[in-house]
Formats: sequence, structure tokens, C-alpha cells
Amino acid sequence: MTLQEQIRANRRRTAVVFLGFAVLILAFVAIIGGAYSPGLAGVLGIFMIGYGLISYYASGRIIAAVSHAKPVTKQDQPRVYRLLENVAIAAGLPQTPDLYLIDDSSPNAFAAGRDPKHAYVAVTSGLLALMDDRELEGVLAHEVGHIRNRDVKLMSIAAVLVGAIALAADMLMRITIFGGSDSREGGLGALGVAAGLIAAVLAPIGASLLQMSLSRRREYLADAAAVEFTGDAEGLALALATLRDDHQPLKHVTRATAHLYIESPLRDHKGLRSSLGGMFDTHPPLEDRIATLEKIGGFTLPAAAPAAQG
Amino acid sequence: MIVLWIVLAVVVILVVWLVFAYNKLVRLRNEAEQGYSSIDIQLKRRADLIPNLVETVKAYATHERGVFEDVAAARTKMLSAGSVGEAAGAERQMRGALGRLFAVAEAYPELRASENFRALQEELSDTEDKIAAARRYYNNVVQRYNTSQQTFPTNLMAGALGFRPREFFELDDEGDRAPVAVDLSKP
Repeated sequence: MTLQEQIRANRRRTAVVFLGFAVLILAFVAIIGGAYSPGLAGVLGIFMIGYGLISYYASGRIIAAVSHAKPVTKQDQPRVYRLLENVAIAAGLPQTPDLYLIDDSSPNAFAAGRDPKHAYVAVTSGLLALMDDRELEGVLAHEVGHIRNRDVKLMSIAAVLVGAIALAADMLMRITIFGGSDSREGGLGALGVAAGLIAAVLAPIGASLLQMSLSRRREYLADAAAVEFTGDAEGLALALATLRDDHQPLKHVTRATAHLYIESPLRDHKGLRSSLGGMFDTHPPLEDRIATLEKIGGFTLPAAAPAAQG
Repeated sequence: MIVLWIVLAVVVILVVWLVFAYNKLVRLRNEAEQGYSSIDIQLKRRADLIPNLVETVKAYATHERGVFEDVAAARTKMLSAGSVGEAAGAERQMRGALGRLFAVAEAYPELRASENFRALQEELSDTEDKIAAARRYYNNVVQRYNTSQQTFPTNLMAGALGFRPREFFELDDEGDRAPVAVDLSKP
């Protein structure tokens, strides 16, 4: 797949994501309208359409707010900013993306935004503390790879919409369980309750599947792009090994934003992972990504320390 | 009748292919052009740093005229470079001259301790990293541009329409990080 094909595929998928979201909204509104109150359904429908529009134009800012990422300048963080400038030049981006910092000791990073001119790269303070320039450059190159491959728009919108679906499902659950018990209309019919519960359970699962299908292959592609920019597969592999060996959980992360990060911030939620054999993972295993880099670069990292298994 | 249709279909397919192949070459040529201007920006930025650097070193190391002349010569050559090859040649010369300048600076502890000198040195090394980054982008694009001109069937029309292979920006004296061929189709 060439880069142009990849970019076109991303555009198509963005349309599909929006369409899927519209269908989910319609179903949601229909259920509320049918089982509870048409007036409430109308209000919710308008609210959701507004939310969709906002997510298209402001997903980057919403994600920054949710993740507690704050914009920083070159004067604040000269080391990482310079590396980001270099990588952006090597990627041929029209300008250096903005740099955001998350005050968190867990090392991680993500990129978000609408297009290469409205994009930013966010890194945690833990990443800066833990990595040398070479590893950091690899991580930044991976994130800039997402920007260059036009992944960021799709992934940002997916994050915001998945968040909205989770919210809606939660609302639906409350309405079906508690709604009507003391209201004048006299409560919901049994059918309405059943439909509401099923929708409330299915919607987040559908959203996760969608999110997962968007992100796993993209991680490999962004790794490949990073190697193209830096010419240093080993640097990125070392960075991924550093991420693998660190087990601090990230503080401000939700299921909805998980797929944005260079390494899954939810990796310590073992229950779900082991029971479903990784089906719902947003990221491919780090070991596989490192192995792919080893193949590209023709080197071998020392095997993981026994303590690092996990 | 049917023959006419077949001929027509072949012509349409040929025209469509030609349009796509032509547009692709134009896009790559523009990207290469843009890549080269990005190298150029960084080369100019460094050329602007050099008079200041030379003045600073001169203030401490008065007897090192030969080195200053080398740097000045490399700078002039760089600013007047007209082709990729000339610019790359000037860049090689510049690296050598700056290497000697910093070797000379080593012998003057007061110079090395000077705030100004340290700031310049940092700025210079940052510019050098950016030149390297811009070169990697340029060489990657040129590789794609040249390859698409040479592969069948685009090679049948690329030359006739005025597309020529571009020169790489090569600095052969370094153990350089060469462009890595990355296959996007493999996971």
C-alpha cells in the first residue's frame, strides 16, 4: 500500500465512522423517542448532531482537555521541541506541529488534530525523563508519522465519538433503569426497557470494535514512517522497549482516547485482555512491533528482562 | 463496429493512465523541489550564523587565520551554489572547515567558557541536525521520483514529457544514515 492509497483509505474510513455514528444516534434517538418521550428524543438528537460537528472541528482540543495536555513553547522545552522540529522537517510537514505536555510520570505520547496544519504531539513528562534523545526522536517520529499518514483526523474523531457513545449508553442505561419510576407518564413498557438495555450494552462494544479496527494496523504503519524519517529503526525499537519495561499507569486516560497513544495506556487491565485473547486491544503487542523493527533495521535488541514480562 | 469500440476503449484507458502517471510525476517533482528548498533554508540559516561565530572565535584565537579563511571560503561557495551537486560539495567543505575551527577552539579554555560561544555552538549543532533531516526528506522524495520515472510503463513517457531524474544530496564522507526502504504493505 502506498502512502497515497493509505491517505485515501483514511478519508474513506472517516466517512464510514461518521456514518456509523449517525446510525447509532438514530437508533438511540428512536429508542428514547419510542419508549420514553419524543420531546426528549428531539433535544438529544439536536445535541448529538451538534456534538458530531464539534468533534469534527474541535476533537484535538477536546482530547487535550480530557488528557490534561497543555501547550508548551520552544522556550519551555527546547530539547523535545527541537527534536520535533527535526522530525517534522524529515517528514516534509508544512510546519512543526504544536507540542503539548502531560504532567504524568508514566511515559507515553499521542498525536491529535484535524490535518497537518492543525495537529499537535503530546508527550508526558515521564517520557522526557526516561528517554534519551535517540529514543525520544523515535517516539516523536512515530507520532509525526500518524500526522503525515493523515491518521490523526480519523483517530481524533473516533476518540471523541466513542466517548459520546459511551456517554449516551450510560444515559440510556440510567433512563431505562430509573426513568419513569416516579414520572407522570407512568414508566416504560417492558419492551422499551429491554430495547434500552440491549442498546446500552451493544453500543459501547460496537464502538470499541470500530476503534480497534482503526488503530492496530496504523501503529505498524506509523512505526514504518518513523523509520523513514529518522533512518534509525533501532532508536524506535529501544524506545518501545523502554515503554514495555515501564508499568506506571497513566492518570487521565479513558477507553475512548486509548487508541491514540503510542503504546496502549490500558495495558495493565489484564482481565479483559486475557479473557478475550487481545481481541479488544487497541494496539498490537509491543514485542511484535519491536520484532518488525528488528527486521527492517537488521539488528537484535537484547531480550526483555524477566521482570518486564507483563 | 466492434473494432472501433475496442480502439476507443484502449484510447480512453491510455489517456486516463497518462493523466494519472503525469500528475503523479508532477506531484513528486514538486515535493522534491520543496524538499530542496527546505535544505536551502537550513543552509542559509547556518551561513547566517557563521560570521558571528568567526568573530567570536577571532576575539580569543587571533593567530588562526588559515581556519577563518577556510570557513569564509566554504560559506561563499555555499551561498553561490547553483546545483544540488555544488551545494553538497560546499556542504562537505563547510563540515571540514567547521571541524577544524572547533578543533582550534578546543585550545582556548576562555573561548570554550564564553556564554556566546556556547550558544552559537548549540545553535549550529541544531542547524546541522535540521540540515540532516531536510536531506533525508529530500533524498527519500528523490528516490521515489526517480524510481517512478524509471519503472515501466511510466518510463515510456517520463522523458518525452520533460521529467529528468534528480540528483541526490549526498555527503559521501560520513557514515550516514541512508534512506531505509520501508515497505508499507507488510504489517
